[in-house]
Amino acid sequence: MTYTISAPPHKKTKLDFKTLNFSKIIALLPLCLAAIYFFGIPALGIIVASVVTAVVTEFAIQTIFKQKITIGDGHAAMLGLMLALLIPPEAPIWIPIFAAFFAITIGKHVFGGIGSYIFNPVLVAWIFTRSAWASYMTPASIPHIGQFSDLILEHGAGLMVGVSPILLIGGVYLIYKRYIDWRVPLAFFATMIILPQTLLFVSGVMALVHEGSLNPLMYMSQMFALLSPSPELSYSMIGIVFFGILFLATDTATSPVTKKGRIVYGITCGLLVFIYGYFANYVDGLIYGIFLANCVASFIEMNTMPASFGTMSCAEKAYRRVMDKIPSSLKFEVVNNE
Amino acid sequence: MEIKKLDTLPEKIIIPLRQHRGAVCEPLVKKGDRVLIGQKIGESAEYQSSAVHSSVCGEVIAIEEAAHPDGNKVMSVIIQPEDSNESVAFSACKDVKPDQLAKFIKESGIVEHYGIPTHTVLRPKGKKIDTVLINATSSEWIGGTFKTPGDYASQMLDALKLLMKAAGAKKGAIVLRTDDKESIDAFEGIEVNKKKLKVAPLIGSRNVGYYFNEQNSDIVIVSQERIFGKKILNFFTYRVTGRKVKIGCDPTDVGVAVCGIKSAKALYDAVQTGVPFYDTVVSVEGVSNKMEYILVRIGTPFKDVIDSYGYTGAIGKIIANGVRTGVAQYTDQVPVTKGTTRITIQKPEEVIRDEAIECIHCARCVDVCPVELIPSRLAVMADQGRFDESRQIHVENCIECGDCAAVCPSKIPILQLIRYAKDAIEMAYEDLPEKESSNLKVGCGCGGE
Repeated sequence: MTYTISAPPHKKTKLDFKTLNFSKIIALLPLCLAAIYFFGIPALGIIVASVVTAVVTEFAIQTIFKQKITIGDGHAAMLGLMLALLIPPEAPIWIPIFAAFFAITIGKHVFGGIGSYIFNPVLVAWIFTRSAWASYMTPASIPHIGQFSDLILEHGAGLMVGVSPILLIGGVYLIYKRYIDWRVPLAFFATMIILPQTLLFVSGVMALVHEGSLNPLMYMSQMFALLSPSPELSYSMIGIVFFGILFLATDTATSPVTKKGRIVYGITCGLLVFIYGYFANYVDGLIYGIFLANCVASFIEMNTMPASFGTMSCAEKAYRRVMDKIPSSLKFEVVNNE
Repeated sequence: MEIKKLDTLPEKIIIPLRQHRGAVCEPLVKKGDRVLIGQKIGESAEYQSSAVHSSVCGEVIAIEEAAHPDGNKVMSVIIQPEDSNESVAFSACKDVKPDQLAKFIKESGIVEHYGIPTHTVLRPKGKKIDTVLINATSSEWIGGTFKTPGDYASQMLDALKLLMKAAGAKKGAIVLRTDDKESIDAFEGIEVNKKKLKVAPLIGSRNVGYYFNEQNSDIVIVSQERIFGKKILNFFTYRVTGRKVKIGCDPTDVGVAVCGIKSAKALYDAVQTGVPFYDTVVSVEGVSNKMEYILVRIGTPFKDVIDSYGYTGAIGKIIANGVRTGVAQYTDQVPVTKGTTRITIQKPEEVIRDEAIECIHCARCVDVCPVELIPSRLAVMADQGRFDESRQIHVENCIECGDCAAVCPSKIPILQLIRYAKDAIEMAYEDLPEKESSNLKVGCGCGGE
């Protein structure tokens, strides 16, 4: 009898790249259905055109350059679907076709395919089409949140992705299943919440300084500003921001791999999106913000490499420096050998 | 759980003359000799070596190179067993001096499961051991070498005392696994020197040093989470005692001797009854949910062990020592050795045949790595031959646990690539200490479990 010989480990996880991509597609399906319901057949046309073009382009490129055909892993379809959701439903049909073509060729394959691209292909294509045909790519309206009901169904919003933030719940399930990492979304979302509140506090204090108020209690009372929601806060609850947090920023190839680096990357994303959104609008701001964060992702990764196992971190070193000076009779520590 | 004894005699017994790292033993028998149970058939004058004993009564039919579970061929004594229980006279070895005890360990052929003879661990040349640890984190005790958990606990303590005596160490500890409730219950409240001991968890900076003080005892029992890995010892020492072992050194350099359950039990038996290390318990698993513990004589071919497990269907892969770090065997005529702890069988359809694709930077390997490496980056650098750069990001720290390769969705053989880089670095730098081999060449076939 013959036996297989191979190197360990002999048992591996069943999870593969294909599963990851198709689970993302499935997580986006409820949103697609809602978009088709609210925007009608044009939305369906855009989704189909974008996905089909993406898959066909990938097939064509891999055939021409005699590479292994990998359309089966669903990556091209996923990119096409994400791109379609970022295109306004009023756009002519050639816009998604061109955008998907651009995403796969320039965004993905020019940089070297899966895992090698440095900018998220969806963002590359979106920014190109937005710059080239700004009139077609501008949505009819920009989401404004008034009541809570808009959080559930925000159907007046311009892009397909904006129809319902709550339908992006699939992304949260993916985090639960650990198909996407939790560090980036958490850091991103926390930053998007904290920054507007901090701004509210700072502006309140600045106003008091401007008035020349000297009462410290007046300044203290500004602490309560942190608890009242600022007008900017509602913008971090719109559909496209959720989409960016859960699906665009967590794209594996364009985010750092180190643990600390992913948190820093999430904060960077949040900061850039907030700055863009505050001075322009949050729909453009999200995409330009994440695109810029992609630029520095590699820099973040290189600077957050973990030290050799067991070496002390900066905080530990500082703690040790202080603790070593305190005489042992004053210490509560019992940790010592012998 | 119950232990099964392999009663049927196999057609032939293959006893490798090297079941440890170190010098190969010289055969003491010739072709055609009749050997008895427990008779010494191989011995070497080298210190880094351990005696080999016959496990059956029978006739030596050949002394030739035969397959070894680590993947190499090793000079072996092949014995045709006969149905007889004739054995040499065993004499117990109680109340002896530490030096004689160390010699007795070598004579009894006791070897650690990771491949180093026990006496060299306890009495390394030029080093002083002050702490002895028994690593029970992979606890296969219930596998039947012991009758009851209480038995296990008391015998382990006696064995620990013997080990400490042989090493001349003052302190000793038994390290259990936190999720192994049965063992923890067995050890809870056990008395050492008329003092009741509690099983203490290793949390944060509370290592054994803390518990030696707190429990005011030279022997403590602690528990920690399970860790896998081939080069686990340095990591284990750091976790348990808080002593850092430099790259390329082993725990004996910081005065710690790490022993396994198997060698401790073998030592206990040898001292109590004089029986040398010639039978061992292996667990057989795979193909179905049942896992069996079988007491086999060393030298029994895997085929007979698998037959007694009761599986008759097609076999795709036979793995010695667990699916994570074990070695796949090319034949079922390899013998069980002192380092074999587990035999895993896989059906042909279970054998993985994935094709690796490009790394997608999902960082799963980073999340699971116990020693804070960036395995994906190391794999890329090894693949491109950038060994210096991989050294800069601490490739030597890798304990070869294989977690990174097991969770990779791109199915990249990360572990193999890292080993390749480590081997290349070790060959290139002469200032690095002597190479500890990977399992496909010479060396241990243990899985760290």
